[in-house]
Amino acid sequence: MSDEVFLKLEGIKKSFGGVHALKGVNLEIKKGEIHCLAGENGCGKSTLIKAISGVHNADEGTIWIDGEKVEHMKPIDAINRGIQVIYQDFAVFPNLTVAENIALNGELKNRKKVVNWKEIHEIAAKAMAQVGANIDPDVKLERLSVANKQMVAICRAIINDARLLILDEPTTALTAREVEKLWDIVRGLKEKGIAIMIVNHKLDEIYRIADSLTILRNGRYVSSGPISEYDQERFTRDMTGRDISGEKYNPAPSDEEILRIENLSRSGAFENVSFTLNKGDVLGLTGLLGSGRGEIGEALFGVAPAESGKIILNGKEITIHNVKDAIKNEIGYVPEDRLTQGLFMDRSIQDNTIASSIHKYMKGFSLDDKAMEEAAYHWIEEIGIVAPSPKPAVRTLSGGNAQKVVIAKWLNTNPKLFILDGPTVGVDIGAKAEIHAILHRLAQEGIGVIVISDDLPELVQNCNKIVVMRDGKVAAQIDNNIDEKSLSDLLIGASVEEVESK
Amino acid sequence: MSTSEKKGKGMRLPGVMKDSHILTIIGLMLMVAVIMLILKPDAYFSGKNLTSMIFQFPEYGILAFGMMVCMIAGGIDLSLVGIMNLTGVLAALILKNMVQMDGTTVLNPGMVIPAIALAILVAIVVGAACGAFNGFIIGYFNLPAMLVTLCGLQLYTGLAYGITGGPAINGMCDAFKNIANGTIPGTSIPWVLLIFIAVLLVVAFIMKFTIFGHEIYFLGSNAKAAMYSGINTLRVTVLTYMFSGILGGVSGILITSHLNSAKSSNGSTYTLLTLLIVVLGGIHPDGGRGRVLGVTLSVLLLQMIANAFTLMHVSQNAKTFANGCLLIVALVLSVILANRPAKKKNTASAS
Repeated sequence: MSDEVFLKLEGIKKSFGGVHALKGVNLEIKKGEIHCLAGENGCGKSTLIKAISGVHNADEGTIWIDGEKVEHMKPIDAINRGIQVIYQDFAVFPNLTVAENIALNGELKNRKKVVNWKEIHEIAAKAMAQVGANIDPDVKLERLSVANKQMVAICRAIINDARLLILDEPTTALTAREVEKLWDIVRGLKEKGIAIMIVNHKLDEIYRIADSLTILRNGRYVSSGPISEYDQERFTRDMTGRDISGEKYNPAPSDEEILRIENLSRSGAFENVSFTLNKGDVLGLTGLLGSGRGEIGEALFGVAPAESGKIILNGKEITIHNVKDAIKNEIGYVPEDRLTQGLFMDRSIQDNTIASSIHKYMKGFSLDDKAMEEAAYHWIEEIGIVAPSPKPAVRTLSGGNAQKVVIAKWLNTNPKLFILDGPTVGVDIGAKAEIHAILHRLAQEGIGVIVISDDLPELVQNCNKIVVMRDGKVAAQIDNNIDEKSLSDLLIGASVEEVESK
Repeated sequence: MSTSEKKGKGMRLPGVMKDSHILTIIGLMLMVAVIMLILKPDAYFSGKNLTSMIFQFPEYGILAFGMMVCMIAGGIDLSLVGIMNLTGVLAALILKNMVQMDGTTVLNPGMVIPAIALAILVAIVVGAACGAFNGFIIGYFNLPAMLVTLCGLQLYTGLAYGITGGPAINGMCDAFKNIANGTIPGTSIPWVLLIFIAVLLVVAFIMKFTIFGHEIYFLGSNAKAAMYSGINTLRVTVLTYMFSGILGGVSGILITSHLNSAKSSNGSTYTLLTLLIVVLGGIHPDGGRGRVLGVTLSVLLLQMIANAFTLMHVSQNAKTFANGCLLIVALVLSVILANRPAKKKNTASAS
């Protein structure tokens, strides 16, 4: 790492509509430094990346790249200055081969009219050698694993003379081993003097790779410094703005069983899954990507039904073959991706709220508009959706409010069992706490609540039972008397005994 | 954030008036009226011209509602003209076979009413069946509505051609001709106007006050979220295209009565025309947005323009060209109007 600063931001502000995404952010990245940008969801990380890469122009503040003040930067200017962003979806072309993906961008940039296939292969080979990747250049990209797609994206960035490589949450979809491999590559790039910015908020991963750290909170710069200056306590305090006390959700124990699942299986997804949920329980379901955690939720809601096993809800065995069955049995489901699966963005809060319970509002031959409006008002009050009326389209709401609308949609069906997949992804801290409070209240009222999440602090704090999935099987069933580190070990492969003996 | 939202709300006009599409259409109607007031006031604003306008628009206006419903559901129905002609040909066939005529004299007057009733019933049932077929192929196999209904257009046009063998079926009884050409006895109000208003009210009621109508909007707004909300998307898709097909059948009766003739190639310009109407009427091509009122006004606007062209002796080719231009303008306008309020809000909150 040299002392030469490659990128410097000062007082960056950016707002969209009435929302201030960035309220004055400073950042300094040196050449050959691995810099981590951390902050909770909705803290402005993505907006900051877009400001650096020229997608958005900041309303206020200054950007220096390599000592030069830059204004009105467009994406192409950022690329020409050596800034390369690898987004979570990698922005690769699935129907092109590895070599084409790596080399074509550069070819296009150089305004080549004729494609020289030999050259394309040479470029791809060179890039892969630099990065240390070993992928068949003639394979179509759609056939690669997530980790290898990421590799291709990195190769493509390198070949375009990257001087600052920004990785947006690069580890979310990777296995532990793939993460290690990625870090090796990142360290190799650092040796070449390339500055690296990694967006990440998982402390254990940050410790292993980063040289320094900048923390944002609610669009504001909080602190920055070498990684050694941060311990767990300071890290969480700077991230969340409060000392996370041990106030965990612990309901009064109850024997009243709400949901029992016995040997639930769906081939290729999960196998022999059993657990019980009693009155008052908020049950957490976790595991790495591909562990089957989300699939169990989909099975209980009938999107991808289980093939065998028993589901007993409130003492009655039920069968769920499709969504209709689930709704008939009064099961509600907040899907993982609220934008594509949960919400009708163009429709009003009212329409969204009654979408799953519209049958209740038939009066004679027509729908009772007034009753629907009242229902929407009721939920706006009840769960604190910040909106002037039920009429605005959901697209005008923030992430947290939009998620509350999805929750309202299901609460309006009076569910007996409520499953939420990633209930607080992309939700700001305040709304997050409110959503958790809603879930606790529901559980106390006797509704079975299942939270599917990979947000370990969220689980430890809000679920009194945690089911850990690994490779489609239940790896452990524990209470919330566990710290995040041990839970994370459980996810990766440690046994309950190993974790407890520590 | 909440305060800026509230401010934004307060500045807007209430109710219908805040719908920029509807304002645009009303503005354009006034513009046409003013232009014609200058160019041809006597011919354009005569009672005779007004009545002739009313006789024109219901047949494609009703088709436009079919197009609208499919587009709100996130699809499109290009087969409407095919359904219209197929059902028209079938209706004509029934009338020709059941009502025996000598010249223009009906030999068995007792059969006229049953024949007309059967013709209407068959047109509606066949229209519904054609639509259900479209909807099933689209929903079950998850194919693009544009391709499926384009195939449907060929299919239904081909069937109509096969039935007639090419030449038009002409010369239905007067009672049938009266549906689209007659007026209510003692007045100069055309029957078709009543039919159009009845269809309009039914469509508006379904879209606003029934579960099905809401489900159409949900499906068009986000099909996946509709599925995750427990809506049977296949069922809604089939019903939507069936609804459209029924409207196609109603149009089939009207055009056959209006022209007193049925063949496979009637009203071939209506596909583009109905598309133009719904887009101009503020139905978003991506689905999920738009109102019946916008489409209704748009139908009237297009009739005003068409009639103006006729009075100005503009050639058919020039009309088609003008309609093409209008469609592009409408599409561009819909994008601009959709972006404008957002920008306004941005600048307001920045200052």
